[in-house]
Amino acid sequence: MVIVWAILLVGISVFLILQPIISGQEAPLWSAGEEPSEAQFKKRVSLLQLRDAEYEFAMGKLGEEDYQILRKEISGEALKAIRAEEAEVAGGAPGAYAESNAEIEEEIAQVRLQLSGGVFCSECGHPNPGGSRFCAECGTPLQVPQPSGQS
Amino acid sequence: MTALGEFALWIALPISFWGMVMGFVGGKQGRGDLILSGERSVYLVFALLAIASLAITNAFLTDQFQYQYVAGYSNRNLDTYFKLSGLWAGQRGSLVFWAVLLAFFASVTVFQNRNKNREFMPYVVGVLQGILAFFLVVLLFAGVNPFEQLGFMPADGQGLNPQLQNYWMTIHPPVLYLGFTAYAIPFAFAMAALMNGRTDSRWIVVTRRWTLVSWFFLTNGIIFGMRWAYEELGWGGYWFWDPVENASLLPWLTATAFLHSIMIQENRGMLKVWNMSLVLLTFLLTIFATFLTRSGLIESVHSFAQNTSIAFIFLAFMGSIFVASVVLIVYRLPGLRSENQIHSFLSREAAFLFNNLVLLGAAFAVLWGTIFPLVSEAFTGQAISVGPPFFNRVNIPIGLILLALTGIGPVIAWRRATRRNLKRNFAIPLAMGAVVVGIFLALGARNGYALTTFGLSAFVLTVIATEFWKGTKARARIEGEGFGPALVHLVGRNRRRWGGYIVHVGTVLIFTAFAGRAFEVEVRKVMNPGETVTVASPFGHTYTLAYEGISSSVEENFDRWVALLSVQRNDQAVGSLTTERRFYRVNRQMVTEVGIRSTALEDLYVILADVEDFEGMVGNDPDAQRIVVQVMVNPLVGWIWYGGVILTIGSLIALWPSAEARRRSAALEPAMAGGS
Repeated sequence: MVIVWAILLVGISVFLILQPIISGQEAPLWSAGEEPSEAQFKKRVSLLQLRDAEYEFAMGKLGEEDYQILRKEISGEALKAIRAEEAEVAGGAPGAYAESNAEIEEEIAQVRLQLSGGVFCSECGHPNPGGSRFCAECGTPLQVPQPSGQS
Repeated sequence: MTALGEFALWIALPISFWGMVMGFVGGKQGRGDLILSGERSVYLVFALLAIASLAITNAFLTDQFQYQYVAGYSNRNLDTYFKLSGLWAGQRGSLVFWAVLLAFFASVTVFQNRNKNREFMPYVVGVLQGILAFFLVVLLFAGVNPFEQLGFMPADGQGLNPQLQNYWMTIHPPVLYLGFTAYAIPFAFAMAALMNGRTDSRWIVVTRRWTLVSWFFLTNGIIFGMRWAYEELGWGGYWFWDPVENASLLPWLTATAFLHSIMIQENRGMLKVWNMSLVLLTFLLTIFATFLTRSGLIESVHSFAQNTSIAFIFLAFMGSIFVASVVLIVYRLPGLRSENQIHSFLSREAAFLFNNLVLLGAAFAVLWGTIFPLVSEAFTGQAISVGPPFFNRVNIPIGLILLALTGIGPVIAWRRATRRNLKRNFAIPLAMGAVVVGIFLALGARNGYALTTFGLSAFVLTVIATEFWKGTKARARIEGEGFGPALVHLVGRNRRRWGGYIVHVGTVLIFTAFAGRAFEVEVRKVMNPGETVTVASPFGHTYTLAYEGISSSVEENFDRWVALLSVQRNDQAVGSLTTERRFYRVNRQMVTEVGIRSTALEDLYVILADVEDFEGMVGNDPDAQRIVVQVMVNPLVGWIWYGGVILTIGSLIALWPSAEARRRSAALEPAMAGGS
């Protein structure tokens, strides 16, 4: 009885592993779903870092000086990633991944807006934190309103 | 049924080899048919190993003592509960168990990635099948076949080691093994990345959840093991720096380091070679732990294995994995270059790196202490083992540094932090730490390590509480939400971070519990019925235990003597405790069952150290009731288990898929079903 079962097991196993090779059935070589490329991933990471930095500044955890340096560096990295992404996907649909990036960007903008003394760039609409003299996005000089007290 | 199990192993061996070759060749040549064949072989090997495991369990349940393995770890009267755990009671079954768990995780991985990460999968299949093939070779050719027959049918089995007849022992090994085997998945992806050349952050993104799953099981497995030692070994402690315990701690230390260092690679594009090395090291340590537990290579208080020949096969396997991986890493070095540098010593990445170095230092110290008997035997001919004093002297300071870093890390900014900022963020937590130390000093505590632990714990808890408070407040203000929803959204938006903080809270509780050992109180007394023993708790009250008497009974598997003691706390009756001695007849072994009365702050722990006259007791001789009792008060010991629960909650929060990931996978399904 056991022998019958054993033969059956061998039969099923051999059939299952040989069938693709004989019939030419194939496993996909490339991913069907949307996987972020390295540039997209880097962009995402930069955005998340930016969001964290904004939050930490809003929480009062990050000092003005640290915040400014951090923001400048991360923005530079994000920009680099965005350019790489543009170069890399010529004509690729933005898809769900890009959509959720937009969500994070929106969130970042909201945090910034709420930062005391925040000011929007008159040229590009970029929200800049209180005390900024120039737009972090396009470099346009900003019309600085009187900061609302706390720094 | 049982005979079919052995056939299944023999069929699984060539199939796993086949799968390994198909994976590597299919990946190299880009042949989808070979890859499909390789992926199917993973499911097949899992099914076959499952048949083998069920066959062994069946043999235990039906008392088939003609099998050497069953006869060695079971007997007719053994509880069904313990017969069910026979699969992992000894070396032979454990190896099958290890393999079936790995095959299960491998199948899950193949299924999850049937449409994703395709350029990794052929090599992942190849690596995983290679590991499975190794285990099958060991099982079938290294003299540890669990289906080996004795050639005759003994009347009864030799029974399970009585110390293993404890419910924690049925859960502790499987959980630990889940942790060991799950780690093979990150390892396989890392190797696949080296083979296909995608050495960017993709493999880290794919495997960080698996790493966390593995870490979660490892941590709980270790805590369950501590609980077992505490209840069953009957000496009042939970950790003895025993080789088997160390073996499970080693991969935990390196896996913890890896969990932290992948964040630097994700955020800063640094430490790529380091992360590859950590994956390799951790995987090798899981294999090392498996073979150390089950080889008997190093004598251990609970080494339950005997065959040493397989130790050398294991060493050869680990050696080849090591060489192959190092060659691959060196070959891919250009792709593993760091994209950034650490700007400042005062930055979060520097803190992470420091945490990594300290964890690795601890791992090295533990490894050295564990294999020292082997080393000393090789050079001097004498096996000298280093005891708990060595491990404590090295690891307590290391642990304290780690505890401090747990508080420092979250507050330091990425890239660089200014001193002014640090001062602002650290002032209150440091003050809290100082206050706690002051209070304990005033209460009369003088143990330096314990005071440092309490102070650092207060510091870390304040940091984490402040993080939660400030984060919630900021979110409530920005989003205009109430505090409750703000907290939920805050955590939900970055589960890994906030889940990680909760894990840290659990860790702090566990550290505090370790420090509590410094205040243990112990009294030993010879007692006759009616006599009392008094022990003072470090919390100020006293316990008075009155010995009421002892009774004996004959159970199915053992004879037992149960001493009854009534307990008074500050002259107020708070119940009674029993502590036992059991004589397992089949094993001819005497064990102690301790009596424990747990409160949030301390455990009253009673050991029946000796019964003067077992025979006279059975004969109801009124003068034969003299016993030796050991009473201990273990402060804060319960915090280990509470810490474990908090740690589990934190891990689950970090593991829970984010809303975005759920939405994305939901968005993906119809798209694929529609073929667009």
